[in-house]
Amino acid sequence: MASHDLRDVLNLPSDHSAGPRPSKKQKTGTPRPNLKGLAREVQNLGGDNPIAIVPEVSIFKKRRIASRKPVTKWELKAFTNSARADDGALVLRHWKRKSEAETPSESVEDRGSQQPDGMAVDGERDTDKVDDSAFAKFNVRVAVPQYNEDQYHRNLQHNDWTKEETDYLLGLAEDYDLRWAIIWDRYDFTPKTAEIETDSNVSTAVFKPRSMEDLKARYYEVAAKMMAVQKAAQYMTGPEFELYETMQNFNPDQELRRKKFALETMSRSKDEAREEESLLLEIKRIMARTERFNEERRELYNRLDYPSTDSDINSFKSSAGLQTLLQNLMNVDKSKKRKSIIVPGAEAATPTTAVPGSAVSETAPPNNTNNSTSNRRESIAASVPGGGHRDSTAGTPATPVEPAAPNAANKKKGAAPPERRKLTEQEETIYGLMHHERLGSGPTFRYEKINKLYSHKSGQQQLRITNALAELDVPPRLAMPTAAVTAQFELLWAAVTSLVDLRKVCDKLDGEIKIEEAKKAERDKARGISGGDVKDKEQSGGKTKPGATSTSGEGRPGTKRPASSGGGDKLAAPRPSSSGTHKRSASVLSSTSDKSSKRQKK
Amino acid sequence: MSQQPLTTSVQPTETYGGDEVSALVLDPGYCSTRAGYAGEEMPRQVIPSFYGHIDGRDIFGDEVIVPRAGFEVRNYMNRDSVVEDWDAATKIWEHLLLKRLQPERPTPPNKNGLNIGDDGDVAMGDGDNNDENMVDNLEKPLAESPLLMTEAPWNSAKAREKAIEISMETWGCPAFWLSRTPVVASFAAGKATALVVDVGGANASVTAVHDGMVLKRSIQKSPIAGLWLSNQIRTMWEQNEPKVDLVPTFMVENKKPVEAGAPADARLRTFPFPIADSFRAFEEERLLTEFKESVVEVWRGPGRYMAPGNEDYARSQPGRVFEMPDGSNQMWREQRYKVSEGMWDETAAYASAGADEEGRVSKGQTILSLIKASLEGVDIDLRSNLIANIVVTGSTTLLNGFNDRLNMELAAMYPGLKIKVHAAGLTSERRFGAWIGGSILSSLGTFHQMWISKKEYDENGPGIVEKRCK
Repeated sequence: MASHDLRDVLNLPSDHSAGPRPSKKQKTGTPRPNLKGLAREVQNLGGDNPIAIVPEVSIFKKRRIASRKPVTKWELKAFTNSARADDGALVLRHWKRKSEAETPSESVEDRGSQQPDGMAVDGERDTDKVDDSAFAKFNVRVAVPQYNEDQYHRNLQHNDWTKEETDYLLGLAEDYDLRWAIIWDRYDFTPKTAEIETDSNVSTAVFKPRSMEDLKARYYEVAAKMMAVQKAAQYMTGPEFELYETMQNFNPDQELRRKKFALETMSRSKDEAREEESLLLEIKRIMARTERFNEERRELYNRLDYPSTDSDINSFKSSAGLQTLLQNLMNVDKSKKRKSIIVPGAEAATPTTAVPGSAVSETAPPNNTNNSTSNRRESIAASVPGGGHRDSTAGTPATPVEPAAPNAANKKKGAAPPERRKLTEQEETIYGLMHHERLGSGPTFRYEKINKLYSHKSGQQQLRITNALAELDVPPRLAMPTAAVTAQFELLWAAVTSLVDLRKVCDKLDGEIKIEEAKKAERDKARGISGGDVKDKEQSGGKTKPGATSTSGEGRPGTKRPASSGGGDKLAAPRPSSSGTHKRSASVLSSTSDKSSKRQKK
Repeated sequence: MSQQPLTTSVQPTETYGGDEVSALVLDPGYCSTRAGYAGEEMPRQVIPSFYGHIDGRDIFGDEVIVPRAGFEVRNYMNRDSVVEDWDAATKIWEHLLLKRLQPERPTPPNKNGLNIGDDGDVAMGDGDNNDENMVDNLEKPLAESPLLMTEAPWNSAKAREKAIEISMETWGCPAFWLSRTPVVASFAAGKATALVVDVGGANASVTAVHDGMVLKRSIQKSPIAGLWLSNQIRTMWEQNEPKVDLVPTFMVENKKPVEAGAPADARLRTFPFPIADSFRAFEEERLLTEFKESVVEVWRGPGRYMAPGNEDYARSQPGRVFEMPDGSNQMWREQRYKVSEGMWDETAAYASAGADEEGRVSKGQTILSLIKASLEGVDIDLRSNLIANIVVTGSTTLLNGFNDRLNMELAAMYPGLKIKVHAAGLTSERRFGAWIGGSILSSLGTFHQMWISKKEYDENGPGIVEKRCK
């Protein structure tokens, strides 16, 4: 009987000494790990701590679980290799596990495939059947460009290479799977026809030893050309075109220089090698540092983006003014901080900053503005964009400070447009951004724009333009007026109209020339006859009259129009004041035509 | 624990890309000819390429080379490791591949004539069939196994064609392949691209191998190899003070231990018939080989052996004692370095007084100049890769310190480049590098498309070997 039993009976609160007892009881209750081969008494000696004696187990190793399956059988199986060039003439034999599971299914397959002569017994066929080597699939060969005689003569002529030698080179390339080191090593071309040919030039050209660069250059030339022959460059897929381009741009001289350089690096001493290595390391470090340095500097500039102090400070002398200033600075600070976190390009997109008309809006959100102090604030704000960048910014133009450019733009334009990042042309195409003139309300159709173009022209011209377009197989109304197509069409249309205009002018000038020539002939005739035949002259003049009037009548509006339409106005300028031989001749003609018309009027 | 043994259900084919087709691998060299089964790690049979000729017949193997009357020792190869005597070559290879590798099996009981009285009704059908096979086998002894042979990289086209002719027509191999030693030696080292430095018995060669193909312009060879070293030792012994007599083992009948440096006290055997010079030379070579194996070492540096002070240092170091077969023995100190120094430094070679045609070393014959010339024969882009993959093979490279010296000299020659010399640690792997590579190659599953089959040979003639085994 211990004290805690007593306490138990008396229902007294047990003190700290009561703890171990129940726990002990619990412990005895829990089953101990029953160590075999150890007497319980001995085990109990350890008490709470289990004894660290590992009992020796004197049991033999467990018997291997013998599989009931019969011993696996192996058989000497014949096989062929389909990667060989001799159509399975070589039958080799190797040991294969004879699998019970596979045989039936295989034989079923066999039966399926050999339906016509499926008389043989399964077992026999198994032995007859020769399977393909599992390694045949690893046989991969390079594809060497192929060409025929005709293609060679059309595309691949080279005054340093005969066809025979080119064939030889391509044969080697195929044999050695484009391993250039080996191709060059084994390259030993002796032309068979060279002895027969008397032309000494050919043989000398052929016999000179080729460098690896020569071989590569020729091969790439042939390969690129044949590639282009088989598939025009614009239809190639991306990787194909890349390959095509690299092969086309192979530069043997550069390769040679590179190899010379490599040779020099091979012969450098240990110290030099070490030096170079350390220099490379240093460069890497410097590069990494400049990046970080630039980053820090940008951060610093952002922080320095405070209003300059050279403005009037009188407005801040009152406590209210100071309050405003503080507010302002805090706002500026906030936005600056945010700016440094978010990407500079993204801030243009935040709507809070995009309030036009107020310069402060660039930095301060509009809901923070205090109405009562708005004019004062504006006085500060006016200085914000201007003084936003101190002289130090301008002093370091090399570092790309992104927000600087828009701010500078702001300064120039006053405070009107909010800052907006300019997209590069490439980005514009990526995002599908387009610029076009203002559109009217409601839906507009692109072809309407083209119709509008037509409507400005006279009926005759419209006809001519449609005729010209029909000649080009372009329908007057576009089937698929996408933006790009309409843009192109507009260009085409402009070209066609200017052409039509030009033709009109040309026709007119031709007519005038004809008239003048006729006149001149007449005049000469009259002079030759020594004024004898006045009647004749008059007659001829009368004859020319209708033609002249018709041409001039046609020409008049023509000369006027180009001046207004602007396409062909230079050629058709009626005034002789213009310079340039072409124009002058035209003007001369036109002036004479004026005279002739005057005379006709008389 | 970490590496679990493969269960039988997992076929090694899928794991290692191997596919055994019971091919034979034959690796002939000037000093020995190796043969065995593909897929094994060592050649089964290694016999000297020297064979005995007695009474008009040839006998092969190491054990038959014993002193006999009228016994001559010949070699079927010339010193360039190119087969010269094709009749003997055919016979010795046949001896190796047929007699030694595939010992004759007893005739099956139904064929040996002992069971003739039994009723043969059932067996008759089979018997006919087998008879045909037997005839085939008799005609073509190697009709079942593809054969892979190795050759020196400078082997002539004629010799190559002859090799395929023999294997296809005489032995009836179903498939044949001829591989150059440096290629297979680099395969044995697990590399497809390597600069193979092969210092063997008759020749030292340096060859660049790129993607499993020999670069022909890089092939360099010189006679500075095992036999040259033997001659150096001979010269060194002759010039030694006192002169060392070269008495091969077979000459000694009885010997008594003597002090170091003392003259030998041995009774020599006398033979009632003249001993052929060739036989004596062969036996002397055995002794010299033993000396090379146990005494000769390569100076490891610093600097060359001839640099001032090095020789004195070598003299002060503990030497090695070598006991001749006749009992005379001597401590070898600095000589054991000097003898091999000619491989690296042509000025240090012993100039033999009598035979000057072999002992002379020119500048371009040292191993380093071979390497240099070999590298100059390949494209610049390959060189650094080759230097980082140097494979050392051949039994003469087993000289102590050879690799250290090679490493040191290369580092001095190409200071800015990464140099890695790969030399197998096992003696046998270094001796049989080419054979092991051939064994690996011919048991690869992907190699089976390469074999020249009988059909291809029949269609194209022996010229196909030039076309295919490039």
